[in-house]
Amino acid sequence: MGKLKFALYWGAACGGCDVAVVDTHEKLLDIAAAADILFWPIAMDFKYHDVEEIADKHVDVCLFSGAVRNSENEHVAHLLRQKSKVMVAFGACAQLGGIPGLANEKRRQEILDYVYHGSPSTVSQKGVYPQETTSVPEGELRLPKFYDTVMTLDQVVDVDYYLPGCPPESARILEVVEAIVTGNLPPKGAVVGALDKALCDSCPRKREEKKVKAFYRPQEILFDLERCFLEQGLICLGPATRGGCSDPPRCIRSNMPCEGCYGPPPDVTDQGAKMLSAVGSIIDSQDPSEIKKVIDGIVDPLGTFYRFGLPASALRKKRFA
Amino acid sequence: MKTISIDPITRLEGHGKIEIFLNDQGDVENAYFQVPELRGFEVFCLGRPVEVLPRIVPRICGV
Amino acid sequence: MDNFEPKIIGFYCSWSSQMGVDSAGLEGASYPPNLRLIRVMCSGSVDPEVIIQAFKKGADGVLILGCHLGNCHYRNGNYSALRRFRLLQKTLEQFGLERERLRLEWVSVAEGKRFAGLVGEMTERLRRLGPLKQLS
Repeated sequence: MGKLKFALYWGAACGGCDVAVVDTHEKLLDIAAAADILFWPIAMDFKYHDVEEIADKHVDVCLFSGAVRNSENEHVAHLLRQKSKVMVAFGACAQLGGIPGLANEKRRQEILDYVYHGSPSTVSQKGVYPQETTSVPEGELRLPKFYDTVMTLDQVVDVDYYLPGCPPESARILEVVEAIVTGNLPPKGAVVGALDKALCDSCPRKREEKKVKAFYRPQEILFDLERCFLEQGLICLGPATRGGCSDPPRCIRSNMPCEGCYGPPPDVTDQGAKMLSAVGSIIDSQDPSEIKKVIDGIVDPLGTFYRFGLPASALRKKRFA
Repeated sequence: MKTISIDPITRLEGHGKIEIFLNDQGDVENAYFQVPELRGFEVFCLGRPVEVLPRIVPRICGV
Repeated sequence: MDNFEPKIIGFYCSWSSQMGVDSAGLEGASYPPNLRLIRVMCSGSVDPEVIIQAFKKGADGVLILGCHLGNCHYRNGNYSALRRFRLLQKTLEQFGLERERLRLEWVSVAEGKRFAGLVGEMTERLRRLGPLKQLS
C-alpha cells in the first residue's frame, strides 16, 4: 500500500490545530513515513493552484481546521472536499464554529466598523473598508466576501469525521492517524479521538451532592481543589461535553473548569441548552425571587454555555431587529 | 502586464496573498500584500466577563 | 405585518394545566388556533433543548404550562421548570429573542378563561412582533 495522501487546511483558524500535529514530536516522522502531505500552508509551500491540479478523490484524508467565515474558506472547503476521499472536521472550529463563532453574537457591520475605524488603535485616514474588488492602476485585486454568519464545516460540505478539541490532543491525533492507516475507522459521521460519554465520567474530582445556592466567577471564591466545580458553584461544562480529551482531563487537572471545547456528548443537539438545563436543575431553591437572584449571578450565559459551539447550536446566531 | 500571484503565503500563521504586477521590461511595477481574513476578536470580546478573556484570546494565534 | 400568523408551540402538563385547557373548552372560552399543543407529563420534563429546537424549526413563540407552585403532581417538577426557564430566558435575551416569545404559566382547573385569554394575548403580541427570523 502506498503512502497515504494528506491535505491540511485552515479556515478561520489560529493554527493551534496544525501545531497539535507538529506537537506529535518525533512521532511526526512516523506520520511522515506513512503520509504524503500534498497541502499544508503552515508548513509547506503548496499553492491553491496546486490543489486545483490534484485529481478528484486523490487525497486520502483532508484535515480541515478553522471555521467557515468568508467565501475563501468556503471555496477551499468545497475544493478540498472534491479532491479528498475523507474529509475530517479537525478541531473545535471546524466541528462547532469554535471561538471565532462568538462573532455570531455581533453584527457583521459592527465588526467591520470597529476593526477598520472605531478601535482606539486604528488610524483610518482615508476611511476605507476592505472591498471584494479593488481597482488599482495595474489591474484588479480580490478579497473574499466576509459572511454574515460564521459556519461549521458541515454546514458547507459533507463531513466524514469529527476530531474535536481546542486544540485536539496530539495523542488523539496519532490514534486517529493510526486508525486511518490500519483501516479501522468507525462508520461515517463519527466523532473520533473521543469517548461516547460526558466528561464527568472521566473526571477525577469528588462528587457529593449537587445543590447550589449561588454561582460564582472563579476569582470570587477560594475553591476546594478536589471537589466537583459545579457543586461549589463554579460553572463547568463537563455534563454537556464529550469526554476523551486526556486522562485525567487536562483542564480539570489544571484546576480550571471544563469550557466545553470537545462539543456535546452523543445525542445532544444543542450543547448550550443542555448545559443550562443542568445548571438550572442544581439550583437549590424553591423561592422564585431567590431563584432569580441565583441566576443573576450567572454572567454571560451565551458566552459560557456556547463558548465553542455557537455556530453549531440550534439558533446559530443572535437575531438582530 | 504580467501578474505573479502568491496564494496563499505559507509557513506562517494566518492567511495572506501577494499580487505582483510586472511591467513590459519584467521589472516589478507594483506589489500588493493582502490579508483575506478577519475574525473580529476585537468586537466579540467586548462585554465578556474579564476572567474569560485569557481563555479566548490565546485562540487569536495558536502558534 | 400583513397576513402573518404566529406559530406558538405549547407544552402543557398532564395534570393541572391539562384540566385548565379542558376547562377552556367546556366553558366555551375560545383561543386562537395559532397554539399547537403538545402534552407532556410535567412542565419539569420540558428540556430547554426541546424549546430551542422548537424555535429552530419555525416556532415564533413557545408557551409552557404547568401546575401552580406547590401543586405539582410530582411535587417538585414545576420548580425545575421555573429554574431552567429563568436561565433559558436570560440566555435567549442574549440571542436577541424578544421576551414575549417564551412564556411559562401556571394554570389550574379553574382557570380555563384565563388560559384562553393569555393565549389570545400572546398571539396578538407575536402578530405585532413578527416572525422569528430564520437563518437562510
